[in-house]
Formats: sequence, structure tokens, C-alpha cells
Amino acid sequence: MHISTGKSLSRRTVLKQAGIALGLPFLDAMNPAFGASTPLRKKRFVGVSLSLGLHNPFLVPKDSGASYTPSQYLKSLQDIRDSFTVISGTSHPGVKGGHTSESSIFSACPHEKGSSNKNTISLDQLMAKHQGHETRFPSLVMNTAQESSPSYTESGSMVPAMNDPRKLFASLFIDDTAEAKKRQKEIARGGQSIMDIVRAEAKQLEREVGPGDRDKLDEWFTSVRELEQRLEANEAWANKPKPKVGKMPTLPDRDSAPDIARAFLDTMFLALQSDSTRFMTLHCTGNSVRSLEGVDESYHSLSHHGRSEEKLGQLAIVEQATIDRWADFLRKLKEAELLDDTMVMLTSNLGNASSHDNRNMPVLFGGGGFKHGQHLAFSQTNNYPLPNLYLSMLQNIGMEAEAFATSSGTMKGLV
Amino acid sequence: MRFPFSILSVFLLTITASADVRSNLEPFLEQHCYDCHDDFDNEGDLNLLDLKFDPNDPRNLAIWKDVFVRVEDGEMPPKKKKRPEAGAMAAFLKSLEKPLMDTELEDLKKNGRVHSRRLTREEYQYSMEDLLGIDIPLDDYLTAESSEGFDNKAEAQQLSHFHLNGYLSAAGAALDEAFSRALEGDEKFNKVYSAGTLAAKRGRGNPRGPQFIEGKTIAWRSSVLFYGRMARTAVPKDGWYRVTVNNLQAINPGPDGVVWGRIQTGYGLSSDPLLDDVSLIEATAEPQTKTFLTWMKEDHILLLSPVEGARKAARLGNGGSVRYNGWELREKGYDGISFTGMTIERVYPHATRVEVREKLFDNLAEKKLRTEIGDPKKELRRLIKRFASIAFRRPAQDSDLAPYFALANAQLKKTGNFPSALKVAYHAVLSSPHFLTLIEKPGKLDDHALASRLSYFLWKSVPDWRLRKLAREGTLSDPAVLRSETARLLAHPKSERFIKSFTDQWLELREIDFTQPDPKRFRDFDPALQISMVEETRAFITELIKKDLSVKNFLKSDFSFLNTRLKNHYGLTNLWIKPGGGLQKVKLKPKQRSGLLTQGSILKVTADGSATSPILRGVWINERILGHHIPPPPPNIPAVEPDIRGAVSIRDQLAKHSTQTSCASCHVKIDPPGFALESYDPIGNYRVSYGVKKTSAKVDPSGETTDGTAFDDYEGWRNIYLDRSEILARAFAKQVLEFSTGGEIHFSDRVVLDRIVLESGKTDHGLKSIIQSCVSSPIFQTK
Repeated sequence: MHISTGKSLSRRTVLKQAGIALGLPFLDAMNPAFGASTPLRKKRFVGVSLSLGLHNPFLVPKDSGASYTPSQYLKSLQDIRDSFTVISGTSHPGVKGGHTSESSIFSACPHEKGSSNKNTISLDQLMAKHQGHETRFPSLVMNTAQESSPSYTESGSMVPAMNDPRKLFASLFIDDTAEAKKRQKEIARGGQSIMDIVRAEAKQLEREVGPGDRDKLDEWFTSVRELEQRLEANEAWANKPKPKVGKMPTLPDRDSAPDIARAFLDTMFLALQSDSTRFMTLHCTGNSVRSLEGVDESYHSLSHHGRSEEKLGQLAIVEQATIDRWADFLRKLKEAELLDDTMVMLTSNLGNASSHDNRNMPVLFGGGGFKHGQHLAFSQTNNYPLPNLYLSMLQNIGMEAEAFATSSGTMKGLV
Repeated sequence: MRFPFSILSVFLLTITASADVRSNLEPFLEQHCYDCHDDFDNEGDLNLLDLKFDPNDPRNLAIWKDVFVRVEDGEMPPKKKKRPEAGAMAAFLKSLEKPLMDTELEDLKKNGRVHSRRLTREEYQYSMEDLLGIDIPLDDYLTAESSEGFDNKAEAQQLSHFHLNGYLSAAGAALDEAFSRALEGDEKFNKVYSAGTLAAKRGRGNPRGPQFIEGKTIAWRSSVLFYGRMARTAVPKDGWYRVTVNNLQAINPGPDGVVWGRIQTGYGLSSDPLLDDVSLIEATAEPQTKTFLTWMKEDHILLLSPVEGARKAARLGNGGSVRYNGWELREKGYDGISFTGMTIERVYPHATRVEVREKLFDNLAEKKLRTEIGDPKKELRRLIKRFASIAFRRPAQDSDLAPYFALANAQLKKTGNFPSALKVAYHAVLSSPHFLTLIEKPGKLDDHALASRLSYFLWKSVPDWRLRKLAREGTLSDPAVLRSETARLLAHPKSERFIKSFTDQWLELREIDFTQPDPKRFRDFDPALQISMVEETRAFITELIKKDLSVKNFLKSDFSFLNTRLKNHYGLTNLWIKPGGGLQKVKLKPKQRSGLLTQGSILKVTADGSATSPILRGVWINERILGHHIPPPPPNIPAVEPDIRGAVSIRDQLAKHSTQTSCASCHVKIDPPGFALESYDPIGNYRVSYGVKKTSAKVDPSGETTDGTAFDDYEGWRNIYLDRSEILARAFAKQVLEFSTGGEIHFSDRVVLDRIVLESGKTDHGLKSIIQSCVSSPIFQTK
């Protein structure tokens, strides 16, 4: 049974919110956030992903380079033409499986023959692991409709997504009541003494089990350690006031998936502006689009357009709306002079949602100080590795990485 | 690497032997394989010429296993090449099978076939219900499971601090609920609503609520979103409620004598649109009073409205309110459901308060808990040990429990409160890996581990007292005892947990909502049909298991469970079904649509909502019914893009699959069942062409199976497999074994599977017999 939201702040709700607030940095690494401002520029990454692709013929311009002619979808973005690049003919090498490849959007983890499908760390989590400790939230992982996310930890575990824009706003900007804070501290302390027992038991089990289970127990140790660190940080952060950003953005119409995405993007902008976090992913999975003018089918059904012109027409309305919301986000960052330090991506695991093809992923990439205003066109039949862009991004935030997943180098044409 | 010396020496031995393996295979490989699979052609990315036999590399072994299976199945060498002589092939397979088996068995002996796995969200919920007697849903606290395969598959399971935190919070919530019921009592709520109240206005206008006429509440078929809201039904607290609706009656019933409706719960507002289904409603001309059980959150309300997609819907308003003036809905023939009030009552479906108290405090009287307990530390020890022995699924020792005792004592010292000391220790027990993971030692399971495996298989929860007792006495592993315990668990109502979980995952019924058929093309598809389809399949599988009926029923059957909607959907015009009687077991002529594969639910989950694809359906049937694993297409092969414009048939689009060798090797398996089922559209209607126009392409359901047996249509295809029911039995046994152990089927399991198929053949491969054979097999009884 799925349960939506609760209104009252029952004890259970508080417990649950304690869970949300656990995306917190380590205590010992927290000090820089409160110290003098660092001379280094703060670099950020925002990955927006779509579960249903973007119709390639409407997105990809016919010609390439800086003088490209805008495609149908890009006409409305011409005012910020110089702030983003449209990239075509790229995909993640070895990634297949239609919808199930969602898990690889930001990890680029290939599905290998004869090995179990264990995912590898996603781009945002890798960045957060190295630089996330400077902010209240090391990273924020969101989904417009579901609990799943394309963000994965180092041990290949999916980071559960926040999917309620009100709770997201509250956890970022609304201070808890004194009672809730007290309760959170109790939970943190209670949790820590329980974790002591759990760690000792896992230790004992490790001696008893066969070698095949040691990996599993290692996961236990890692999880216990990380939970302890987060409980501890949680207790400390509970006393720090949250940034004040004014009123909560208006609640979206639930029957317009692109507007729900906008509600998230509005709050995400505030999160960047208040430096509450620097690394975010938003996975857009909403299926209801019927309140958009001219649309009367579900999004998923439209994505299986079967080349019907009527369906493609409706699909274009939905996809254009999504791209326009993403562009608005870029405009706001630009106006706030944050865009040069913020890399913003829009992509999908599906290059063709109608046939579940994972090649030719749609990619719009803006900000971050890269060379933009161009169409980087790679081969549609022999795709260029998209992980190269991820490596470029890692280096952009100052990490000394030499590879990411199946990358073959940094991406050509961006500097 | 921390291998002890003895293991290293075993490896050395195996490596010496592996050179011999390679040379034994050489003649066959040279004669039949190198033509395509050498360093030059490297067809299918496979170069057998330079492939060593390396027992230490799982990937290398996987390739050799693949080679074995493809040669054994006759898939390789491909048809147009020279066939190997039977003797040469048998010799080749034999010299490959043994080393593959030996290395694998050695590995399984050391590491076990299934690694330790944690409880899934579903198993956690049921375990907490049984341990504490609570019934609040805990899903919200826990991280969602990954979606590939069964959700208890150990290899695919993830564990992170998010999971641990989820378990910690969920246990806190569950214990709060249990202790509050035990100590403070149950919440009371019992309210009677008159027909007028339910249709009552709130403020200005009617907030999308039903109409009130002549003492009756009437909900009409309407296109207004969230129509049928009954704003007064908001409940004061989260909980389970029993809803009794009086005299449900149809207005303007359709040709099947029914107005189909749905009762749902939620806020029913566009700002919070999530609604949970409570139940389908089949209103008939004859009034019927019905009772429904539902979980409702604080301030959630009930909504009731007709839902039949093919019937006309009144646009009763715009925005937040509706108006009835001037519509004359009854006279103009709109569907309506009337009723004469309802009762909503708070209930605790899972356990009484007394039972909860007994689960927490055993025999300690309530009065004692409030006043004084003679030796509280001793009582804490006793209760913690008792609780931990159930939760850990084996008798807990005092020495192991010392940290729990210490935790409880510290809390007792701090607060002086006995229940709170107990609660904190229980919280720790419920966060322990002993509870949260099924962890066993390599080799044969001991009786306690066996009890856990059996219980989590058939009840999805901790073993009950009887299984615990048999495990303590060491008799559970006795074949006769195990058999009768399996039968006992299967006969108990809790086995519904297994059947629902297994069926929904095996047949992907959880995906029924994943696509939404185009409402313009499939006007008669609506929630009533979708819910009925899924319920039909669950009822059907339940019957096959309970009555031990043959796997042949997957293809052809003389019965099913239908209501009037399904009967009409399947075009079974001469069948009698009682209107308003719910799903009814009916006899079918075997020639008619019958069997699992042509049920609406299966046909829908194997299509994409707008179009069917023989590939999707073919892969699905191969993997789930025939037991053939189909690898995903190579990364550089584009999938066929569906074309629903009607002029080209999918077969024309697929033609090149059978002509290109690299495609054909898999598609020769994939396509046949997919082609046969092309006679059914994405929602399961029977069809002969891909559209209604004269120019529409005709459906061609013919084909030939991998071994060249031709069939004209679905009936022809199923007849081929009805004669080979051992294939279906083997595939079903694999599903059961994977689900029941959380492990994967290994190459070396082939011998055990042979035996299960043989054994269950005595009952014509009855589903219950297969389950029993699986439980008695070493696969089930070994870590």
C-alpha cells in the first residue's frame, strides 16, 4: 500500500523526517561551512534526467557547430543560446536494457556479461563524497513522482529520492520546532547506542559465516559507520538555524508533469542560492500531463507514439514544456550570477523511448564556464562516450580524476 | 586474498586439470565452431579458438556454460551449418559438463548457493505484524527494493545507511504503535452517516460530491476529476477502517446488469491527488449492502463513483464544484450508483489488544506493569530473550544478549519505567542483523535455518511456534515432517502472502499500471477491467496451487474466474455469469480462450499500452513460462520502432531478424510465441487485423518453433507445448526455487531440476507437487 503525506506532526512523522534530514555531512568536516569564506570558487552540479527520453528528430539540430540552426525544441531557448550546448550522438558504452538502464544515467555503469548487475557510484555522489561536506546537505536526490533515483552510492546502493516538493522545501528552509529538535536528538542518541550493538554483532557474524558472505557483512559495517556519522552530524546541525528564503514556491498542478518538475527546480534554485547543497539530481518520472493544453493522453502512452502524428504532436507539447522549465532554471541561475559555477545537465537514458533504445541519449548541457553556444554532433550510428562529459565535469569541480566509468578522455569541443 | 593453504592447493589441482578439459573439447570445436567463432570472424563477439578454460574466472565459466547450453539446445551450430553427429555431440557435452559441474559445486560448497540476504520491505512488514501484532503500514519508512527479478534476490539486493536508517525508523514507529495499544488502549471511532450527510454541501457549491435525491446518495458517471468525494467521511486518525455501505444499487445498469464503480480513499484534491483503491463496486438493480476494509490516513476521505470507460460521462462542472440542475441524469441514461448511508468504524484487523500485550509482555499482567515488578531486571532478561528468540529465528543465548540486557537496564535506571526499558531493547533486537538478514552457514541448512527459509517462502514472515518447536527438537528436516509442514503452511490463510507476492512478481502483475492504453483507441479499458484482470490471474494461480492442478493450465484450461466485465471482454457470449457476483469460477470449453497466457492481465503487461510487440511477449514467455533465458540485445542493435499507423505489420518490420545470423540465433526462440499471441491486442481483445480500415494489415499468428515445428495460430502453438509439459514444469520449478531461496538457478542445478520434473510428473506436474518437490530438494535445503 502506498501512503501519501501526513499533515500532523505525529511522533512517527518526526521519526520519518529525521530520516530525511540524514543526508547530512560529517561532524568533523563541518567546520569550513561556518568558518571564513574560502577563496576557492564553489562549483556545483545539477543533473536533471527524464525517464521517457526526448524525441530525437525534434531535438537535434540538422547542422552542427556554433552556427547551428535551432531545432523545433530549441527555438524558445535562443535568448540563452550562448549558455548551453546541445550534444548529440553520445551514449553510455555497454549500457542497455531499455527502461531498466535508468540506474546508469549518472553512473554510466555498463552491464557486463557474467557479472552481477551491481551499479557503481554516480557522478553526483562522487562529487558529494569529495566536496559535499561543506554544505548542510552533501547532496540532494529528488524524483518528481517516485522513490527511485539514478543516484548510487559507492557500494552500488540506490539513494532514495525525495518526491514531495513541500517536504523538500521544509527540510531545506523551515526550522523544526523545539520539540521536534529535542526528539531528533533523542533519536540520534538512541540510534547510536543501537548501532553500537549492531556493529558488534556484525563483527561476530563475520567470524561465523563463510567467505561468500563477507562482502555482505562489509556492507553492514560501511552502512553502520555511515549511519553513525550521519546521526552525529544530524544532532549537531539540529541547532543551526536554516537559511531564510521567504515563502514556499506555489504548489504545482499535479496533472502537469513539467510543472511538478518546475516546483522542484524552483526549490533547487533556492538551495543553490543559499548554498545548502551543491550537488543535486532530479529524476522526472511523472506520467500525468493532461492539464497541458492540447494533451489528453498519459506521458508514457505518448512516448510509445508508434509514429502516429497525432501522438507525436501531443508528445512535443509535453517535451517542449519540460525543456522550457529547464531553460527557465538556467535563466534564473544566470541572473543570479551562479551559472558560470554551476553545471546543469538535461538528459535521459532513452534515446528513443518508442523502441526503448539507449543509444543517442538526448543531452543539453549548460553553465560551468564551458564553451557553449554550439551543437556538438557526434555520430548517430557510432556513438561517442558520454562518460567523457562526466569526466570533464569532475575535473571542472577540481577533482583530479583521470577516468569515470567507461570514459576514454575528457569531452572534445567544450573548452 | 585470505585463502587458507588448503584452498589454494585445490585451485592448483583444478588449474592443472583445466588444460586437459580444453584439449578434450578441441576436435568438436574445430569441426563445428571455429568457422565463425575464431580470432578472425569473432562472430557474436565470441572467439573460442583462444578461449581458455579457467575455473577461477566466473566470467570465463559463464561463457563455457553458455556454449554448453546452446549446443545442447541445438541452437548451435546454426541450422544452415552441418549438424554434428549425435555421438560426437554427446561426447563433447559430457566432457564439458563435468568440469563445469565440478568447479561450480566446489564453489557452492564453500560459499553457499545464496549469500545472506536482508528482509525485503514486504517481508519486514509481515514480520512486524506477526511479531508485534501491529497493522500499520511501514513501507513509507523503508527504501524501495530494486526492480530486477524477485525482490528478495540476494545478488541484486543493496544495503546502505539509508536502509539501516529506514529499519531504525520503521521499528520505532511499529514499537510506538504496539506499546501504545498495549498500555493505553485502542482508538475508538464509530460513526453513522445518513444519505443526506454524504451528499452534503460544504460552504458554497457542491465540492464534487454525489447527489442527494429522495433519501438516497447517488454518484453518477462523470468526467470531473475527483468526482464522488464525500467530504464528511474524513477520519480523525491514521488507521484501518471498516466501511459499510448500505443498499448499493445500480441506476441505468449496462447490458451486463451492472454499474461498475470504484471506492477510493485519499484527499481527493488536485494538490494531493494520490488515491488508493479500496475496492471495485458491482452495483446491480438489486440493492446490496457491502463491507470494505481500508487503511486511511488522518483527514483522508472516501470517494465513490461509476468508472465504466465505454459509458457516457457527464461534465457536471468545472473546477472544484459540480451542479446537477438541468441534467436529468437518470432520464438520460447516465450510469449511477445509489446508496442509503454508511458506517465507518475503526478496527484492528491483525490482532486484538490482548494479543498485542501478550506479544510484548507475555504473561505479565497489565496491573503489574503499572505498579511494581518484583525483580524487573530478571523479567527484562526473560522477555528480551523470549522476543529475540522469535525475531532472530533461533534460540538466543544469554551471553549473546548481554548488550541488550545492558541497554534495557540503563534505560530502567534512567527512567524507572519498565515498558520503556523493554521497548529500547526490542528496538535494538529489531535493528540487529540477526533479525534483518537471513544468514546461514555454508552447507546443509540446520533446522532453524530451514524453518526460516520455509516460513519466509510460504508466509513471508518469522517461523511460528510450531516450526520453532520442530526446529528445536531437530525433526523439521525429517522428510515426512517437512512435507506435512509445507502442506500446513500452504493450507493456512497466511499463504496468500506467498501466492500474491510470487504471482505478482513472477508474472509482472505489479507492472499492470505501467502503461495506460490510449483512451480513444481502447474506450472499454477502465479501472474496473484492469482490476478484474489482475484478480482473475491471482485467483487462477491460487486455484492451480491449492488444487495441485497441472502446469498445462498455463496454456489451456477448462475453467477460470470471471465477472461480467471479463466475460464480455473475452467475447464469451454464451456463458452465464451472475451480475454483481464478483469473480466466479466458471467452466470453459477448452477451445475457447482459456489458460493463463491469454488472460487480459498477461496480454496487457506484455504490451506497451498502444502496441503489441512479438519480441516483448516472446521474451516474456521464454523467460517466465518456458524457462529460457534471453540475453538483452547487443548494444549496437537498434530495437524495432513500433508503427501503429496500421499499414505495415510488425512481422514485415521484423523480417530481417530471421535473415541476419546474429539476430536469428536468439529470435528463432523469441519470436514464435510472440507471433502466436499477435491475435490479441494490447489489452487482450481478440483481433484479426491491426486496425479497422480495409487497408489495415492482417494479423499473421503463424510461425515455427525452434525445432522447426510449424503452427498456424496460438492454438497450434500451445498444442506443441501441451505435449511437452515437462518444459513448463521445469521453468515453474526454477521460478519457485529462486523465489523461495533468494538465490539464482545454477548450471549444476540441472540434475536436481530433472528430478523435480520427474517426481512431479506423477501428478501431471501439479503446481503444489512441484512446490513440494522443490522444498524437498537439496537446492532448497542448502545455503
